[in-house]
Amino acid sequence: MSRPLEDILFGDPSPRAQAVNRALSVFAAALLILLAAGIVFRFHAAGQLDARFWRFFALPTTWAFLGKGLLGTLQSAAMAAVIALGLGLVLLQGRLARLRIVRWPSIAVIEFLRGTPTLLLIYVCFLVLPPVGIKLSTYWMLTLPVGLSTAAVVAEVYRAGVLAVPRGQTDAARSLGMTDIQVFFAIVFPQALRYIVPALVAQLVIVVKDTTFGYIVTYGELMQNAKVLIANYHALVPVYLVVALLYCLVNYVISRASKRLGRPVY
Amino acid sequence: MGGVSSLLADYGPAFGQALLLTWKLTLLSFVPGFLLGIVVTVLRLLPLPPLRFVLTAYVEIFRNIPSVALLIFIVFALPDLNVLIDYEPSVILTLTLVCSAFTADYLRSGINTVGGGQVEAALALGMRPLRIISAVVMPQALRAVVQPMTSLLIAVMLSTSLASQVPLPGRDLTALVSKIATDSAAGIAAFAVAAALYVATGLLIAWAGATLDKKVRILR
Repeated sequence: MSRPLEDILFGDPSPRAQAVNRALSVFAAALLILLAAGIVFRFHAAGQLDARFWRFFALPTTWAFLGKGLLGTLQSAAMAAVIALGLGLVLLQGRLARLRIVRWPSIAVIEFLRGTPTLLLIYVCFLVLPPVGIKLSTYWMLTLPVGLSTAAVVAEVYRAGVLAVPRGQTDAARSLGMTDIQVFFAIVFPQALRYIVPALVAQLVIVVKDTTFGYIVTYGELMQNAKVLIANYHALVPVYLVVALLYCLVNYVISRASKRLGRPVY
Repeated sequence: MGGVSSLLADYGPAFGQALLLTWKLTLLSFVPGFLLGIVVTVLRLLPLPPLRFVLTAYVEIFRNIPSVALLIFIVFALPDLNVLIDYEPSVILTLTLVCSAFTADYLRSGINTVGGGQVEAALALGMRPLRIISAVVMPQALRAVVQPMTSLLIAVMLSTSLASQVPLPGRDLTALVSKIATDSAAGIAAFAVAAALYVATGLLIAWAGATLDKKVRILR
C-alpha cells in the first residue's frame, strides 16, 4: 500500500512549514470552537437549553419508546432487505436471460423501479391502491415499496458482480457438463458475491434511510415515534436532534461494516 | 389508456409545471452541492488536523442522515432556534448538504486513482502543493468520478420528491400525484405519468453521463 496522497503532498515539512501548519491548525481550531460556541449560544438564546426540554431524556420510558421505534425501523429494513435480495436475484435472472421476451420486460421493470422515487411508490401503496381495493397494513405500505425499489438496484449490483467473474469460469464449468443453473449457483454467483458484498451492505444504509418515510403511513418506526414524543413533551429541537444522531450512528456502523468487508478476504 | 389521456386533459399543465419544478430543484441542489463537495475535498487534504476532523465528521453526518430527517429538522426544528428558512430553500439546502457529502466521498476515491509518482514528480518540478492539487490531482479526480457523480445526480433528482413533505407553493411530481390521488380516482394514471417522467429524466441524465464519461475518461 502506497502512502496517501496528502502525505506525499505535505509530508516531511521543513521546520518553518511545521510552524506555519501548527499556527494554522490552532487558528482553525479556534474558529471551529467559536462556531460551536455560537451554536450553543443560539440554543441558549432560543431557550432550547431549558431543563424541561431535556429532562425527559432521563426517563427510561423515553428511551424505551425510541428503542421501540428503532426496532420498528430495523424490522421494516430487514424485511425490505430480504425482499430486495430475493427479488433482485429473480430480476437478475430475467435480465441475463437469453430470451428477449424475458429479458426486455425485466429491463423495463428494473428501470422503472430504479427510476421512480421510493417516496412515490409509498404514496402509491398509501393513497392509490386502497381505492382500487388493495389494502395493506402500515408495515407493508412502507416495507414493500422500499423493498421493491431496492430490489431493482440490487439486481444491477448483482449483475456487475456476475459480469466481473472471468468468462473462463463459465466455460470450464460448462465443459465439465454442468447445467446452466448449476453453473450459475455453484460457480458464478458465489464468486460474484465476493466482489459485491460491500456494495450490498451499503444498500442497507439506503434501506434504513428510506424507512424514515414510515411516518407518512404512521408505521411505528423511529421518525414516527419521534413525532409522538414531540407531541407529548413539546421538545421539538432536542428530540429531532437525538433522533437524527441515532440515524447517523446506525448508518455509520453499517457503512463502517461495509468498508471492513470491502477489504480483500483472500 | 383512456385514463391517461383524460388525466392529461385535466392536469397536463400541472404535470408540466411539476416536471419543471423537479428539474429546477435538482439543478439548484446538485450544482452548489457539487461545488461545496469540491471545497470540502480540497480542505480535507490540508495538513490541519482540527479541520480534517471536523470535515470528516461533516461528511459522515450528511452521508448517513436520512434526507427526510434532515429536511424535517431544518423546517420544523430550526424555527425554534430562531433560524427561519423558507420551504423551497429548505429543500434545496437539505439536498445540497447531502449531495456535497457524497461528492466529497466520491472525489476522495477519485483522488486515490491518481498515482503518487505524479505528485512526487510535480513536487520535484518545484510546484507548490495547492498548485499540484488544482492542476494535477483534481482534474484527474474529476474525470474519474463522472460515473458515480451521474448516479448521484439521478439520486438527487429522485430525492427532490422530498419536496412533497413541505407545503411548497408549486407542486413537484410526487406532490402532484399525491394530490391527484387524494382528489380523484385518477391515482394510477397520475402515478404512471409521473413515473414515466422520472424514469425518462433519469435515463436522459444517465445517457448524458455516459457520453461525458466516454469523452473524459482516462484510460490507464
